[in-house]
Amino acid sequence: MKLLTCPVNGTRPLSEFVFGGEMRNMPDPAQASDSAWAAYVYNRTGAPGLKKEWWFHSPSGTWFVAERNTLTDQVARTYLYGQEDKA
Amino acid sequence: MTFIQTSPVSHAQHHAHPVMGSLHGMEIALEFGTPASQQAQAAVAGVAEFSAFTRFAVKGAGAAEWLGAQGMELPAAANSWLMQDSTLVLRLGNSEYLLEDQFVAGHASRLAQGSAPVGAKLYPVARSDAALVLSGQHALSILAEICALDVAAELANNQRLLMTQVANISVTLLSQTLNGKTLYRLWCDGTYGPYLWHELTAMAQEFGGGPVGLSFYFK
Repeated sequence: MKLLTCPVNGTRPLSEFVFGGEMRNMPDPAQASDSAWAAYVYNRTGAPGLKKEWWFHSPSGTWFVAERNTLTDQVARTYLYGQEDKA
Repeated sequence: MTFIQTSPVSHAQHHAHPVMGSLHGMEIALEFGTPASQQAQAAVAGVAEFSAFTRFAVKGAGAAEWLGAQGMELPAAANSWLMQDSTLVLRLGNSEYLLEDQFVAGHASRLAQGSAPVGAKLYPVARSDAALVLSGQHALSILAEICALDVAAELANNQRLLMTQVANISVTLLSQTLNGKTLYRLWCDGTYGPYLWHELTAMAQEFGGGPVGLSFYFK
């Protein structure tokens, strides 16, 4: 059974979670060039490595960030958004 | 004109021909058999519905302060609960609170009838849960089959609650002592209530148990 640790509810089976996509910083729509905005909307990086991802613990409605190595599928740490320092 | 709400689980119970009654504006199953048969089922593996109890919920960073100003005691830790007078106070995660009166009206009714919560970072939450109860000597055996967690170990601290999945649906789960017996309380979205009722009663019947009416627990 694959496990993932919710920072609020603890370690749970992966079936309790929903993947929310890679966490990416949105450029300021008012300031970004068309090409920068288009890159943000349409482009994704598929290169394997350590990435920040959004995950959702469905029973509690908790969104959090997981740092996961997409090559090895190892999760380095998880934390609530804005609480990276506490992880 | 007074409207009586139908319990979210009622159509799954209909075939068992329960004695129905009205509680807090909801029609709910009071008895599924004779007192002796109800007692026997509850002791082995009983499934009951408590959905008629009044609930009140708020969330947000300002929820704790607002509830404190309303005279509520709040659990100190996330995912824990306490009983204040006759009201269950559940802290769901860090900043969401669910209050549920038990058989008699209490703080949840008082707050629900008061003015709507207003304040910064304070959000009312509408709850239309199906609230079920699992009791009896085989209750943990049933949960072991349909929940990935070791419920006995996770709830060894009696004031802790779990938000997890049971029979593949999201539930809030805690253990509570009522009339000297340990039972397990489950809340799920009301639309899943009939499914969860069906699953739990089917498993309870495998152990020689079955459905139990609300009046068994509250005379």
